[in-house]
Amino acid sequence: MDDFLQNNGFLIVTMVQQALLAMSLYYPLMSGQLSLASPGFYALGGYVAAIIGTIEYFAPWRDALGWSIFPLEWLAAGIISGVLAVLVGIPALRLRGIYLALATIAFVEILRVICLNLEITGGAIGIFGVPQLFESRWSYIWTFGPLLILMLFFSYRIDRSRVGRAFKAIREDELAADAMGINPTRYKVLAFVIGAVLAGVVGAMSAPFLNTWNARQGTFDASIAYLAYVLIGGSRSMWGPLLGGTLLAALPEVLRPLKDSRLIINGVVLVFASIYMPQGIAGAVGRIRNFTVRKFGSARSEK
Amino acid sequence: MTVLLEAERLCRNFGGLKAVNNVSFQVVEGEIFGLIGPNGAGKTTLFNLMTGLTPVSNGTLRYRGEYLTGLPPHRIAGKGIGRTFQNIRLFKGLSALENIKVSQHVNTNCGLFSGIFCTPASRAEEKMVDEKAWELLKLIGLADRATELAENFSYGDQRRLEIGRALALEPQVLLLDEPAAGMNSAEKHGLTEFIRGIREQFKLTVLLIEHHVPLVMNLCDRIAVLNFGELIAVGNPVDVQKNPAVIEAYLGAE
Repeated sequence: MDDFLQNNGFLIVTMVQQALLAMSLYYPLMSGQLSLASPGFYALGGYVAAIIGTIEYFAPWRDALGWSIFPLEWLAAGIISGVLAVLVGIPALRLRGIYLALATIAFVEILRVICLNLEITGGAIGIFGVPQLFESRWSYIWTFGPLLILMLFFSYRIDRSRVGRAFKAIREDELAADAMGINPTRYKVLAFVIGAVLAGVVGAMSAPFLNTWNARQGTFDASIAYLAYVLIGGSRSMWGPLLGGTLLAALPEVLRPLKDSRLIINGVVLVFASIYMPQGIAGAVGRIRNFTVRKFGSARSEK
Repeated sequence: MTVLLEAERLCRNFGGLKAVNNVSFQVVEGEIFGLIGPNGAGKTTLFNLMTGLTPVSNGTLRYRGEYLTGLPPHRIAGKGIGRTFQNIRLFKGLSALENIKVSQHVNTNCGLFSGIFCTPASRAEEKMVDEKAWELLKLIGLADRATELAENFSYGDQRRLEIGRALALEPQVLLLDEPAAGMNSAEKHGLTEFIRGIREQFKLTVLLIEHHVPLVMNLCDRIAVLNFGELIAVGNPVDVQKNPAVIEAYLGAE
């Protein structure tokens, strides 16, 4: 067991981490907004943690606080991402559909180029030697794992709350939601901010995990990868991004023995999944469940 | 008799087209006010102006003396003006129950955190929202299908669900855009009784766009007739029916 964790610890933690990033797309999608800004906030959060962890200015803090500097980094990353998300979200969320997606990709690119050129972010080289929270890669499950459980709980509750209903109403029909008294701008920005804060915190947890941080962390490729997670997993329930993120993060590793052709198989899986499971894996599972319930009678009691 | 809604020289232009042109009228509290006119007369545009979905080009709209002109739709809904849509705009992917719960938004105020942590206040509010939603579902006769998705309902049931959703706002004014469209004559008869019933029960003022003349004549206290964006007659059903301008608009001049 120990051997298994030593060898696969990095992959397992990465799967959880990617599931969390997929969930950061899920909240804007819950309110019908296709935002691909997550890699930007992820990179930002990572930089916050890397900078607090390495530069001279914070040295007294690090000495005084010991390991508890890490939760503080997460908090700082969350707050900074949230504030930036409000500033970006208010103008950007006036756009819809593919235009919003393009604007958020532009945001990720702008942030990447800025980070490439600033001194504090280490320019093109990035930041090295980010202090570690744990000794082994596997141990990082103790940061990402609880966060994932927390976010699943958060999603479960929000789905049944007044705010969640407002999100879903906007997704279904923004104009009708407006006419029923829901302020669409307010709730769209709120959903965007929730996703951004999550991505920022995941970034801040990832910088110590990866030991180094640079501008390659938040790129257009990452935007597309996260989008694939929610497309394949499904965007209608919280299990979608969880499944999509974990499975797709593992796929390249599982196919590693196939060498270069693994990328082809990776692509083929994506294409077939989106053709045959338009609602994603979670949607397909839901359909099968509905089918069996209809066929063999309902075990579920309904009010 | 208090004037509830007042439109003054209301205009809306789409490019060169005057969809609503200098329309002035008053709606009195508690009445059922019909809005009729040939296709393209501007009835739905008038509803959209009143609910803020389409900005007013010129003129003013007042509700209990307050200006509605320039307010976004959700603010107008918050003041107690609910509506249905001609082409049914339910939240299709949500259940009937959820559709009605959504509309209770303006009368509740739990935010993100009380919702996440299930605070006592949010639990009490959810309970109230739930009870009210079931009550309304019973009223519109869809309680036994509460968990079905709105898109799976028949046309007539969707129309009723939309009225239920608008009632969940606890409105004082209800705007119904062609509520009888696509209904058979038995259903239409039921609808007349239903609208009268909810007016009594919720102390509503109802504005209604409808093509089916017997239904309008039977149900409405007063009727306004629009033609090419202009108001050509207002009055009680019998007078409007005899009005030469109205006859000309519908049947052409002799």
